[in-house]
Amino acid sequence: MTTRTAPFSPNALPTLFAACVLIALWQALASATADMFVFAGPLAVLGAIAEEGSLLLRSSGITLQSAAIGFFIGNVAAILLAGIALALPRLEQLVSGLALVFFCLPFVATGPILRVIFGVGDGPQITLAALATYYTTYLCLLVGLRATPGSWLDLVRSYGRGRLSELIHVRAMASLPYFIAGLQIGAPAAFLGAMVGEFTGAERGLGVLSIRAMRGLDVEMTWAIATTAAALSAAAFWLFGWLGRCLGAGPPPLLLASRQDGPSVGMTARTGSGLIYLILLILAVLGVWIGLIKGLNLSPFFAKGPQDVWAFLVSDPAAATNRAALFTAFWQTLSLTIPGYLVGLALGAGLAVLLVTQPRLASATLPIAIALRSIPIVTTAPLFVLALGRGAVGTITIVAVMIFFPTLAACLEGMRRTPRPVLDLFSTYAASPWQRLAHAQLPAMAPAFFASARMAVPSALLAATTAEWLATGTGMGSLMALTASTSNYNLLWSAIVVLAVTASLIYALVHILEQRVLHTFASEQLVQ
Amino acid sequence: MAEREASMPPKVVCKGLEKTFHLGGRAVDAVGPLDLTFEAGRTTALVGPSGCGKSTLLRLVAGLEKPSGGVISIGDETPEAVTKAAGLAFAFQDAALLPWLTVRQNVALALKLARRPADRERVDHLIALVGLRHFAETRPAELSGGMRQRAAIARCLVTQPGLLLLDEPFGAVDELTRTRLNAELPTLWQERGTTTLLVTHSIAEAATLSDRVLVFSPRPARITGDFDGARHNPAARPALIEAIASALGAKSGVEPVS
Repeated sequence: MTTRTAPFSPNALPTLFAACVLIALWQALASATADMFVFAGPLAVLGAIAEEGSLLLRSSGITLQSAAIGFFIGNVAAILLAGIALALPRLEQLVSGLALVFFCLPFVATGPILRVIFGVGDGPQITLAALATYYTTYLCLLVGLRATPGSWLDLVRSYGRGRLSELIHVRAMASLPYFIAGLQIGAPAAFLGAMVGEFTGAERGLGVLSIRAMRGLDVEMTWAIATTAAALSAAAFWLFGWLGRCLGAGPPPLLLASRQDGPSVGMTARTGSGLIYLILLILAVLGVWIGLIKGLNLSPFFAKGPQDVWAFLVSDPAAATNRAALFTAFWQTLSLTIPGYLVGLALGAGLAVLLVTQPRLASATLPIAIALRSIPIVTTAPLFVLALGRGAVGTITIVAVMIFFPTLAACLEGMRRTPRPVLDLFSTYAASPWQRLAHAQLPAMAPAFFASARMAVPSALLAATTAEWLATGTGMGSLMALTASTSNYNLLWSAIVVLAVTASLIYALVHILEQRVLHTFASEQLVQ
Repeated sequence: MAEREASMPPKVVCKGLEKTFHLGGRAVDAVGPLDLTFEAGRTTALVGPSGCGKSTLLRLVAGLEKPSGGVISIGDETPEAVTKAAGLAFAFQDAALLPWLTVRQNVALALKLARRPADRERVDHLIALVGLRHFAETRPAELSGGMRQRAAIARCLVTQPGLLLLDEPFGAVDELTRTRLNAELPTLWQERGTTTLLVTHSIAEAATLSDRVLVFSPRPARITGDFDGARHNPAARPALIEAIASALGAKSGVEPVS
């Protein structure tokens, strides 16, 4: 029983040891950089937690509540979307596209707008938590609902039963491991969403506390809050993993690999139908946009429609000036986001590769990498900027760190799934670790790497804009925060459009690259 | 609970049966055209080279694929009508047991899918018949390949179908286990006179288990040999095996397996 339910290596000692080494490193880093006022070591953090225990506990409860409600709403939405995609396969492409575009909305801009809509209270926190959650769950469910062996479905059909029976008796349970994986990724994201929502002017919660600590340059408290948030996120991660094991769902056999010539790749497959799809998608986005404003009866003062954005950026006499202001900030942000994104991916994958050449080290560090993935790096952004300067390095570092941990965890996890017989085969030929890596482990890692590269696109933009908003005072983040406070909502909505479109395009680009690479090097990893 | 009356074994008739698959604009003829009659209550083995379309034939009879041409009648009904009434059961090469269900739940699932009342007694009876009495609460992952096939056979039989379609049910188990399963399991349905279509790669299995052996050509599946099986006649088996092998070897270029 113990070996079956053990989440990773049956022997927890190496993990414990690695955790101790990491904490020692953390302390050493903090001590070495003590005069920079950036890092607080584990001892200082423990001290701050002990000192402000009751305040942290109360704030955590508030944030946790918003995150939980948003998490629930987001997952229900994901299930509904996946249900639509499964029931109406022709709509799947459109549903996926819409889901992606709304996932790419920049929180730094949607947060203040939600604050205006909801006023005081926890509406924005809950909404952002839901927005941060639903897409990963939707993707996982989509893979899970389709990754069902054909003979299981044939079994249902051989008794003359239809799609509903398939769903009830086979697909629902078969997709459970994928759903659990989605919940596990979504839980820390929901927590981060709730915290960013609190940044926009909530009265209470960990996010509020965090802003206060950052503004006061209270290094210990900032790290104490980040540590608390990370611990809570990691706890949620383990909780859902445990729940999955109780329900008999092991880890999913395939982690977030995308489908090959599925309808969601329309753009690469046939340019003709891809163009039609793109037009349909744009129409759908505009429809939802206008529908939401009209349906919720939002005031035209702050709720701008597509026609307002069009006027602001194109048809208005001042459009050229508007565009200049917007795109200066946009290029500023992009020029920091992309290097940070690439560095984060490279470091994450690189460290995973280094670790995997020492298999025992890799299995020991995987649980730690997963725990670290939950650290809401964004909340420590101002400290990084403070230490590394308001120039490019600070923001790039935050973006890279934000992406580094999820990539490391995903790549380690992916390589751990290299089929045993394949590794045995390499052993029988006394293959070098390098050959093993090149021919077995890297192909096994590729789908996980690309999945995290795709998901990292919106996170990278979130990290960059948050750093700009809270610390550097440059780029889109600062521009959006400024326009929110000066009620220049035309500019704010235009900024949302530009960022969401950019994120969606980069996501699509990574996706196309993924298809090319996987098709060549790891075609067996593609779900047909 | 009253024992539900078993479906009468039906006669299966294929007329002008054809199946063409379209793979990326390329048409691949998988089956036929075939005219075939499977007599009620008899076991027919279908042998042929890999990928010759014999599995497709089975899936057509089960209503899992639609024919491109021709008709299939099972008794007086279409395959779709028969599946809806749970008049047939299909055994898959990979057993197709749902991993999150125990053996008992897997067997009971067939009754659920067939919209029959739950019948714990019958489920347990069948589990005992296939020799899994002590594994009723076990999940498939903890069973050997042979045990999984036993569970799958129990699931096939629990609805008392008149027609059994077996797609290499013992193809994925080792030779020793296969021999044992061959000795024990087929009597379970053959005693009841179920109409059975058995797709197999094993010439010996075809010869010893069936009343009739059909040998198929490479794709599209056409019949190149039609022999009387040697189920009740051990003395005739060596000659039959020889005959099947030569029908296979001569027509397909495949080395006969002894």
